Amino acid sequence: MKKLALAAMLSVAAIFPAAAQEVVDWMHIASIPEEVALMEAAVAEYEAANPDVKINMQFLENEAFKAKLTTLLQSDAAPDIFYSWGGGVLTEQAAAGVLRPVEDLVDPAVAEALGSGGMSAFTRDGHIYGLPQQVSEVVLWYNKALFEQAGVDPASLETWDGFLAAIQTFKDAGITPLAVGAKDKWPAHFWWSKLVVRLAGQDAFDAARKGENGGFAAEPFVKAGEMFLQLAALEPFQEGFLAASYGDASGYFGDGKAAMHLMGDWDYGAMKDNSANKEGIPDDQLGILPFPTIEGGAGDPTDTLGGINGWLFHKNASDAAVKFMEWYTSAEVGSRFGNAGFFIPIAAGAADGMTNPFKVQIAQSINNAHWHAIFFDQELGPQVGGVVNDISAELAGNALSAEEAAELVEEAAADIR
Amino acid sequence: MTTIASSAALSAPRRARRYMDRKSLVPLLLFIPPALILFVVLVVLPMIDAASFSFFDWTGYGPMTDFVGFENYDDVLSHRHFGTAVRNSLLVIAVSLLVQLPLAMWVSLALVEKRWSVNVIRTLFFLPYMLAEIAAGLIWKFVYDGNYGIIPTVGDAIGVEMPFVLGDKFWVMPAIMLVIVWKYFGFHMMIYIAGLQSIPSEVIEAARLDGVKKWQIVRHIKLPMIWGSIVISVFFSIIGALQLFDLVIPLSNGGPNNSSHTIVTFLYQFGILRMKLGFGGAVSVMLFIACVVITVIYRRLLFSREVD
Repeated sequence: MKKLALAAMLSVAAIFPAAAQEVVDWMHIASIPEEVALMEAAVAEYEAANPDVKINMQFLENEAFKAKLTTLLQSDAAPDIFYSWGGGVLTEQAAAGVLRPVEDLVDPAVAEALGSGGMSAFTRDGHIYGLPQQVSEVVLWYNKALFEQAGVDPASLETWDGFLAAIQTFKDAGITPLAVGAKDKWPAHFWWSKLVVRLAGQDAFDAARKGENGGFAAEPFVKAGEMFLQLAALEPFQEGFLAASYGDASGYFGDGKAAMHLMGDWDYGAMKDNSANKEGIPDDQLGILPFPTIEGGAGDPTDTLGGINGWLFHKNASDAAVKFMEWYTSAEVGSRFGNAGFFIPIAAGAADGMTNPFKVQIAQSINNAHWHAIFFDQELGPQVGGVVNDISAELAGNALSAEEAAELVEEAAADIR
Repeated sequence: MTTIASSAALSAPRRARRYMDRKSLVPLLLFIPPALILFVVLVVLPMIDAASFSFFDWTGYGPMTDFVGFENYDDVLSHRHFGTAVRNSLLVIAVSLLVQLPLAMWVSLALVEKRWSVNVIRTLFFLPYMLAEIAAGLIWKFVYDGNYGIIPTVGDAIGVEMPFVLGDKFWVMPAIMLVIVWKYFGFHMMIYIAGLQSIPSEVIEAARLDGVKKWQIVRHIKLPMIWGSIVISVFFSIIGALQLFDLVIPLSNGGPNNSSHTIVTFLYQFGILRMKLGFGGAVSVMLFIACVVITVIYRRLLFSREVD
C-alpha cells in the first residue's frame, strides 16, 4: 500500500512539470544532417536550462516550405517560430496580421547585438516581427584545379569581357564553365540579379521599384538581360541545366565537373553534402571570385547580393518563443554554426571566431558593402520575384529577348504598385 | 407468381411513392447524411470558396477586400504560358485515349485467361498504378537524368548521344507521357479484364463453333459486351488527364522554361506559389467548368447508349 502511494506520488510529480511546460513549435528548413544535429543540441541545452519550455522542431524542405507557408500560417497548425528571408513576403505577412509584433518584448541589448541593418530587415512600419540570425552572400565559387587545367588565370575574370573570354577558354578545353540549377529557377536569378546590381546599382533599383524612369523596363535592366544573353549564347552551363535542381547543380560542382558556380555561401556545406562522395571539392582547391565588374555600370564595386535571414514570430507565439529566439540568435549560439561553416551569424562578435577562410572572406565583404542587396525574388515579393525567376531561367536558356524580359518584370511590378 | 405480376404492374408514380413510405425513409435518413455532409464540406464548400477567390485580388493573407470582377479571368487568358498549359493537357488527353487505352485493351485481351503465369504478368502491369505519383515521378526523374540515368547509359552502350530529355523543350512532353502511359495503363487493363471476364464463356464458345474468326469475336462480341467498361475508362482518362499534377512536379516542375505545364501545375505555379490566389481561383473555375461540360456531354453521348 505504501509502495502504491509512493508510486502515485511519483507519477503525479512526473506529470506536473510536463503539464506546466510551454510548447514552442519551431519550423526550420535546414537539411544538412550535421547542421540539424547542432540545432538539436542547442534545443536540448535550452530545454535543460529552462525545464518549463519544450521546443518542438518541425522541418519542411525549402520548396515545400515556401509553398505551404501561406496556408500554414492561417491554420491552427501554424508554427510559433518560422524561418524567413524577410523581403516582400514578410511585408505581406505583416500587413495581413499573421505575425506578432515583439518590439515591446525584445531586450534592447539583443537588438543592439544583432545590429540595426539586421533588425531593420525584420521591421515593418516600426514593428519588429522577428530576429535576424544569418547573413549570406552570393559569390562565384570556383574550382582551382579546373582553372589550372584549362590554363585560366582567375585574375583575368575581373572584368566582364575577361570573364566571357575565360568561359570560351573552358569551352575550348572541354570543361563545363558554369553549373546552374535552372529547374528551381532561383539559382538562375542570381545571374540576372548580380548583373542588375552591377549595372543599375542601389539608386536605380530603388527608383525602378517605385516605377520611376520606366521602372524595371529602364535601360540598365534591359542591359542586364542583354549581357545575360551574351553569356547564355556561349552555352556555358552544364548539359541539361534546365532540368537540374539546385541540389543537382550543387552536386555537379561539388563533383568537380564544372569550373564555377554562382551560389550563396551556404553552398560551401551543401556542395559537399550534394557531391557523390559527400566530401566535395577540398578546401585548397576551392576559391571565391568577385563577380566581374562592368564598365559603365552604376553599381558600387563593393555591392553584394545576398540575404539577411532569420526567424519570425506567428501571432500566437508566446513570450517563451521570443525568449528562446533571443538566446538562439545570440553570438554564443550563432558562433557554433559560424565556426562549423554552416552560415555567417549576424550577431556582433559571433563571426569573430570563424576559422573557415571562405566564410571569413564573405563576412568581410558583406561588412564592407556599400549596398547589401537582398535576394531579388524575396525582396520584390512572390509576385514580382516569381517573374524575375521565370525570366532568368528563360534568359539562361536563350529563350527570351532582353526587352521582353524587362517588360515582363515591369508588368508584374506595375501590377502591385 | 403473384408477386412478380404485382411488381410488374406497379406504375411509375406508384414506384416513386414507395420511396416515401416509412420503411425506406429510415435507411434514407440514416445513410445519406454522412456522405452528403462529407461531400458538402470537402467538395462543395471549397469549390464555392475557390470560385469566390477568383473575383478578388488576394495574396492569401488576411481578408479578401479588393474586388476586381473578371480581371483575374482576363489575366489567365492573356497569360503567356496558359496556352501552353492547355495545349499540354489536351495532348495528354489525346495520348491517353489513342495510345494508353488501346494498349490496355490489347494487353487485357491477351491476359484475360485465369492462369498463374498470366496473373503474375497482370500484377506486374498493375504495380505502377499502385505506386504513389510522387514516387513514380522521382523514379523516372532518375531514369531520365542525363548524367546518371538509364537513358544516357543505354545511349552510351549503343553509341548514340542521348538528349537530357527533361531539360529539352521537345522531349519533355513525350517523356512525361511515357510515364503516364506506363503508370495508368495497368489500371485501365484491370477494368477491361473485369469486363471481359464477365462475358459468359458460352457466348464465345458458340461463336467459335460457328467458325467466327478470333478478330471478329473481339470486334463483334467482346468489345460490344464490355462497352460499359470502355465508357468508364475513357471517362477516367479524360478527367485524370485534365487533373494531372503530381507526376509532372517531380519530373519537370513544368519546365524547361514553363514548357511542360499542365493546367493544374500552371494553377499551382502561377497562382499559389506566386501568392495570387485570385488568379489561381480563376484557373480552377475554368478547369471545373471544362470538367462539368465534358461530363455532361459525355453522359449524353455515351452513358445513355450503355443503358440501351
